[in-house]
Amino acid sequence: MQTLHDTESRSEPVGAHRPLRRRRRREAVEAYGMLAPSIIGFAVFLIAPIAVVAVLSLYDWNLLSDPEFIGLENYRDLAGDERALQSIGNTFYYVLLNIPVQTALALLLALALNAKIKARNAFRVIYVLPWMAMPVALGVIWRWVFDPAYGALNRFLEVFGVDGASWLTDSAWAMPVIASVNVWQYTGYTMLFFLAGLQAIPAQLYEAADVDGASAPYRFFKITLPLLRPAMLFVLITSVIGSFQVFDTIHVMTAGGPAGSTATLNYQIYLESFTQRNAGYASMLAVILFAIIAVITLAQVSFFRKRTTYDFS
Amino acid sequence: MNKTRTAALAALALALPAAAACGGDDGGGVTLRYAFWDDNQRPALEAMIAAFNEDHPDIEVELEQNPWDDYWPGLDSRFAAEDAPDVFWNHVSRFPTYADNGVLLPITDYIEEDGLDTSIYPEDLYASWQFEGDQYGLPKDWDSIGLVYRLDALEAAGIDPATVNDLEWNPADGGTYVEFLQKLTVDANGENALSPDFDPENVVQYGTAMASSTGQTDWWNYAVQNGCSLQTEPWGDYAIDAPECVEAIQFTADLYNRWHVAVPAESTNQPNGGVPGDYVVPGQAATTLDGSWMLGFYRDGLEPGTWAVADNPSGPVGSGTVINGLSNAIYAGTEHPDEAWALVEFLGSEEAQSIATEMGSVWPGVSSLNQGFADYWAGEGIDVHGFQAAAEGTTTGYPLSMNDAAFGTAALDEFNQVWLGQKDAQDAAEAVVEIANAE
Repeated sequence: MQTLHDTESRSEPVGAHRPLRRRRRREAVEAYGMLAPSIIGFAVFLIAPIAVVAVLSLYDWNLLSDPEFIGLENYRDLAGDERALQSIGNTFYYVLLNIPVQTALALLLALALNAKIKARNAFRVIYVLPWMAMPVALGVIWRWVFDPAYGALNRFLEVFGVDGASWLTDSAWAMPVIASVNVWQYTGYTMLFFLAGLQAIPAQLYEAADVDGASAPYRFFKITLPLLRPAMLFVLITSVIGSFQVFDTIHVMTAGGPAGSTATLNYQIYLESFTQRNAGYASMLAVILFAIIAVITLAQVSFFRKRTTYDFS
Repeated sequence: MNKTRTAALAALALALPAAAACGGDDGGGVTLRYAFWDDNQRPALEAMIAAFNEDHPDIEVELEQNPWDDYWPGLDSRFAAEDAPDVFWNHVSRFPTYADNGVLLPITDYIEEDGLDTSIYPEDLYASWQFEGDQYGLPKDWDSIGLVYRLDALEAAGIDPATVNDLEWNPADGGTYVEFLQKLTVDANGENALSPDFDPENVVQYGTAMASSTGQTDWWNYAVQNGCSLQTEPWGDYAIDAPECVEAIQFTADLYNRWHVAVPAESTNQPNGGVPGDYVVPGQAATTLDGSWMLGFYRDGLEPGTWAVADNPSGPVGSGTVINGLSNAIYAGTEHPDEAWALVEFLGSEEAQSIATEMGSVWPGVSSLNQGFADYWAGEGIDVHGFQAAAEGTTTGYPLSMNDAAFGTAALDEFNQVWLGQKDAQDAAEAVVEIANAE
C-alpha cells in the first residue's frame, strides 16, 4: 500500500519498492546476525571490562570485601605517588628504546629479504620464529643468558677479556636489556608487514626510476618509503600500543626491579592490584594508561592522515 | 561449508548436556578444590587424599598448585571473583587480612560438634589460627630453619663436620661463622676467601646461598640471633629500623659484599632468582640456611651421605631461628562447607599427618608425630634434630599485621638493593618502616 509521505520511494517504480525494502531489511538482519558473535564478544570482553575498570577507579577495593566509593581520591593520590609517576616515565623510556630500533631493524630486514638472495624463505621463517615462541618462556631463558655470574653472555664476554655488567640488577642496564629482548622478539613479526608492503609496490616504478638513472638512496626515499606509508602506519600504531602494554618480559626477567627501574605502568597496575590489593587504585592507573595510549594513537593517525597515500589498485 | 557447520552445531548440541552433567552433582558426588603452593609436598598430599577417599569415596579432591609468588595473587583474584578453592593452604602472614575480610570459614562450631581433641597440636601453633574468638584452620605442619651443608665441600676445605654445630658470628669481624664460609668460598685458582690471592670476581664455589622473598631463610634468622624483633609487639608497628635489626641486615649484606662468601645477589635476588637449593645442589654453594620443608629437595637432588643438617649459627645474643606453620583453611563462600570440613578435619588428624611424616614431607602439626619425621630422616642418614632444637630455643615468627602486603613488597624492594650493595641498610630499613607503618 503506497502512501504519499513515503518519500523514499518517489523515484522508484511502485512495483520494485517493497521487495527491495524487505530485501534490504532482511540483509540487515542477516548482517547483524553474522556480526553478532563478534559484537557480543567485543561488548562482553572489551567494552564491559573497560566500563568496569573506569567505575572501579572511583572505588577503594581490596578484592576481599565490598568496594567503597571514594570519588576522585585515587586520581588525586597519583600526584604524590612517586612509584606510579616513575612507572609512567619508565613506560615512555621503554617505548622510546623499543620502537625506533625495532621499526628500523624490521624495515632493513624486510628490504634484505625482499631482494633475491639465497634461502630467502628460510630466513623469513627464522626471523619470525622468536615471535612465535612464548614470551614468558623466552624471558626465563634470557634471564639465564643475562645472569651476571652464571649467564652465557658474561661467560662469552670473558673470552675477550670483557667484564660483563650485572645486566638485570643494574638500574642503568635493566631497561635497555629488556627493550633489546623485545626488539629481538618482535622485529621478525614487524618485518612481515613491511615485506607485504614492499611486495605491493609495482615493479615498473623502479624500472622507470632505473631508466631515469635514479640512485639507490633516491629510490628508497622517493619511492619505497612513501609507498610503505600504509604499512608504516599499521606497524607503528600496533607496535606502539603493544609496547606501552609490555608486561610478560618484565615480569619474568626483573619483576620491575631493581628499585622499580623497570616497572612500567602496566607492571605497576599488576603490583598495585595483586600484591598490594589496591584494585581501585590499579584501575585508576589502567584508565591513565588507556588515556595515554589513546592520545598517542590519535596523534599518529592524524600525522599519517595529512600525508598523501598512493593507490595503484 | 554448510555441512561442516551443521555437523559442528550437532556436535555442540550433543556436547552441551554432557558438559552440564560434569558440573552437576550427579550421584551425590562432590568435587572439592584444594590449593597449595609447594610442589615438593605433592606426593604427601596425594597420599593423604587417597586415605581420605577410603572413608569418603563420594568426595573427589582436585589439587591446584601455584608457586608461592603466584599463589597469593591468584587466590586474591579468586576471592574477588567469589570462586576460590574450597580448601587451601593458609599462611600466618596472610591470615589476619583474610580473617578480617570474612573470606575464611570459621570452624569453631564444627570443632565443638565433632568434639575434636585439639590438644594434639602444640598450643601456640593451634592458637595462631584464631581471630576475634574464632578458629579458622587446623595446623598442617610446622617448620624451622637449619644449616644445610655439603659434606664433600667441607672435606675438600678440611673442615671437621663436628665443628659446624658451634659456629658463631658477630657484626664486627664475622666470627667463626664467616671464617667457615670463607674457607668454603673458592675461586677458579683454588684459593679460598681467606687467601690474599683470592679473586672475588672469579668464584667457583660460594660458602653460602641466600634467597628469600620474605627474609624467613636469610636475614630474619640473623635478626633474631642479634636480638632484633621485627615488630614492637604482635599486631604492633614494624620496628626493623632498630639498631640491632639494622646491624643484622648489614651483616647479611656483608656476607655478599664485604666477605664475598654468598652467591651474588645479582643471581639470588627474589622473586626471579633461584631458591637456595638451586645453588647448593649443583655445587655453586657449599651451605645454606634453609627450611625443614626443603629437606626432600636435597634428598632428591644430592647423593645420600654427601649432605647433612646442622644447627643455626649463634649471633651476639645467642642462637635462634624463624619458626612458622601452615594451616588448612576453608573458603567462606564454598558450596560444600560440610565436605570441606571433613577434608580439613582429616588433614589435621594424626592418621593423615602420620602419612606425611612417614614420607619425610614436613614436620607435623600433631606433636606426637615429630619422632616419626625424625626417624624417617635418620633412615636417610640425616639428623634433623637441629630443626627441633632450634624451634625450642629463641624463635621469631612471621609478623602479625594487617599491613603485611605493604611490608613484604617494600622489604623485598629495598633489601634487594642492599644485597646488591646499592643502598645503605639503615636507609632501607627506615624506608620500609615508613611505608609499612603508614597504612
